[in-house]
Amino acid sequence: MIRFEAVNKYFGNLHVLKDINLTIGAGEKVVVIGPSGSGKSTLIRCINQLERVSSGRIWVNGVEVTAPGVPLHKVRQEIGMVFQHFHLYPHKTVLENITLAPIKVKGIPRDEAEEIAMYYLRRVGLAAKAHAYPSQLSGGQQQRVAIARALAMKPKVMLFDEPTSALDPEMIGEVLDVMVDVARDGMTMVVVTHEMGFARQVADRVVFMDEGRILEEAPPDQFFDNPREERARAFLSKILKH
Amino acid sequence: MFDLEDWLTLLRDWRYFAEGLGQTVKASGLALLLALGIGVVVGVLSVAPWRPVRGLTRVYVEFFQNTPLVVHAFFLYYGLPHLGISLPVLAVGVLALGVYTGAYISEVIRAGIQSIHRGQLEAAYSQGFTYLQAMRYIILPQAFRVVMPPLTNQMVNLIKNSAVLAMIAGDELMYRADGWSSYNFLYRQAYTAVALLYLCLTLPLATVARRLEQRLLGRESREVPL
Amino acid sequence: MRGWVRSVVAGVLALGVAVLAGCGSAAEPASGGEGGGSGEQPAQVSKLEEIKRRGYLIVGVKADVPGFGYLNPETNMYEGYEIDLAKKIAEEIFKVPGQVKFEPVTAKTRIGLLQSGQIDMIIATVTVTEQRKQEVDFSPVYYTDGIQLLVKKDSGITGLKDLDGKTIGVAQGATTRARLEEKAKELGVTPKFAEFPDYPSILAALQAGRVDAFSVDGAILKGYQMQDPSTVILPEKYSEEPYAIATRQGDDDLRDLVAQVITRMQESGELQKLQEKWGLTGQ
Repeated sequence: MIRFEAVNKYFGNLHVLKDINLTIGAGEKVVVIGPSGSGKSTLIRCINQLERVSSGRIWVNGVEVTAPGVPLHKVRQEIGMVFQHFHLYPHKTVLENITLAPIKVKGIPRDEAEEIAMYYLRRVGLAAKAHAYPSQLSGGQQQRVAIARALAMKPKVMLFDEPTSALDPEMIGEVLDVMVDVARDGMTMVVVTHEMGFARQVADRVVFMDEGRILEEAPPDQFFDNPREERARAFLSKILKH
Repeated sequence: MFDLEDWLTLLRDWRYFAEGLGQTVKASGLALLLALGIGVVVGVLSVAPWRPVRGLTRVYVEFFQNTPLVVHAFFLYYGLPHLGISLPVLAVGVLALGVYTGAYISEVIRAGIQSIHRGQLEAAYSQGFTYLQAMRYIILPQAFRVVMPPLTNQMVNLIKNSAVLAMIAGDELMYRADGWSSYNFLYRQAYTAVALLYLCLTLPLATVARRLEQRLLGRESREVPL
Repeated sequence: MRGWVRSVVAGVLALGVAVLAGCGSAAEPASGGEGGGSGEQPAQVSKLEEIKRRGYLIVGVKADVPGFGYLNPETNMYEGYEIDLAKKIAEEIFKVPGQVKFEPVTAKTRIGLLQSGQIDMIIATVTVTEQRKQEVDFSPVYYTDGIQLLVKKDSGITGLKDLDGKTIGVAQGATTRARLEEKAKELGVTPKFAEFPDYPSILAALQAGRVDAFSVDGAILKGYQMQDPSTVILPEKYSEEPYAIATRQGDDDLRDLVAQVITRMQESGELQKLQEKWGLTGQ
């Protein structure tokens, strides 16, 4: 489903991804963790090519997205993404935020797009806010709308780039609940997060990154209870203390 | 400073000035449409992910921002006919003003686009929008709110700059004033009247610009909170 | 009416000076005269007196009309019929030759320069009209010209009657347009007009095909016809253009002196001789 092959990425002289090899199967839920600056976000952003790689290759849904001339806008329609800072379209209502891409990108008729949108709004518990503007919602509500927006494109993969990091603590739960719900549907998910509880509950596999390398890949129980790598142990002890 | 007889002479000939005003409105209006079209297209392309296209927009903007409008007008009016292309003077005016102002407007649009958080473009990309679709549906509608005040200032500039057409027999307000005043030797009256007439066109626009600016400042940012 | 305005301004200025100077110098007459240059303060000297004190006469002339007023690029000196007239008038004032300074003017700048006192008089192909008489004083006529047409040789145009629907280039503010419109009406044709700020622009417009004819007083056309041999001046004349010297209203002593000089030169045949010298006769 997703495959990284010897991927390297530089920002100028900064080597942010070092020889990444990673395979994620259909329906698999992978949580990527690691200290800040370890390259987690860059890794996930390479999947839908918001970042171009410096070398190596990436396949998503059978398409080599790193090949030159690939119509990325087509590839991206099947990869949903949720951002740390939501990035809802501020000039559109909640409903319009969700229907815009299905109508303009996929060419779905408006009625149908709105039906789909309302379905996902109900699933994230915000049907009542359909005609509100993003600025009228709390952070947690905005992020739930962002998830609905991504799902409405009926993607095959969902990418979550630190979806709860910008939220007040009391709003984190509502967003995680929605993500758990999405996971239950069998969606392929790649999640960059610091929420260890979520990782334990949902992940099939935890990928630990540090300084641009994947240092350890393991099922969550094994990783959290008995990490192999010294640096993983150090990282876990630091964040679990809090 | 009132010379009743001379002012009456001016009033007697009001129709002559009114026709000039009409021509100024016509030329400015058409030039404005052209300038807006060019400005939006060039503005969008000037931040596009295609390097050669960005280069071309730079050449256009730098050339027209750094050469006098009157040179463009003279080139089109006196120069082109020698190449076998003789545009009517109104077309010369609209083209010169439109292309010149378009360079300024494209810079305004570019600044507006760049003022929109990069995350908006990424969100659009992640949903499968192409660059141009993202601009059209997501970035430009937001950018327009930001650029309305400077855009209106450019409209005011365009109207003022249309006076250059007087130098190529453009038959607009300034041209009429030039002709009338030196025929009648009544310069003070003619140019006072013309200044007032230009104000009638530009002042409402400038007022709108100021209002928009205040509203923009007054409104809480609708960008993603953070 | 203009004099009235100026008196008020001068009065206000004088009052300001008096207030600034304070009580101590209240007995002194207002002293803003020389520098202020504003016409008629009570103690102000006459225009002629002012010129004499200055030591030279300042005349607004054309720089681009060969035969009348032309700044010869080879010698960098002004020359022409009107230049000679200016020299005569200066000589009359100072009794010695050479006390004159030339200021180049256009149809548009000349009146402003005169009204503001930056030039003493205009000798620059100014046509006398009734409207203009209200703004300036005119001397007796020193030359009568007529409007003619300059066209491209290959245009096939032979006169105003061929210009129905065609465009005639004229100078902004010149009387040419009004005169031609009258004549055209008589002939039953309706040409269009395009006005330009200077004569070289009209020639350029003719060359660019922007206008079909270049029209101004024949004497002026002559210089431009020589510049572009592919053009020809049509013989027909469409008006009488009486040229006279303009002085500022209120400068009565100067106006009278100029009138005297012109009248005397007219009677003595000197004007005629000068016109012959500059090739302005036999039209």
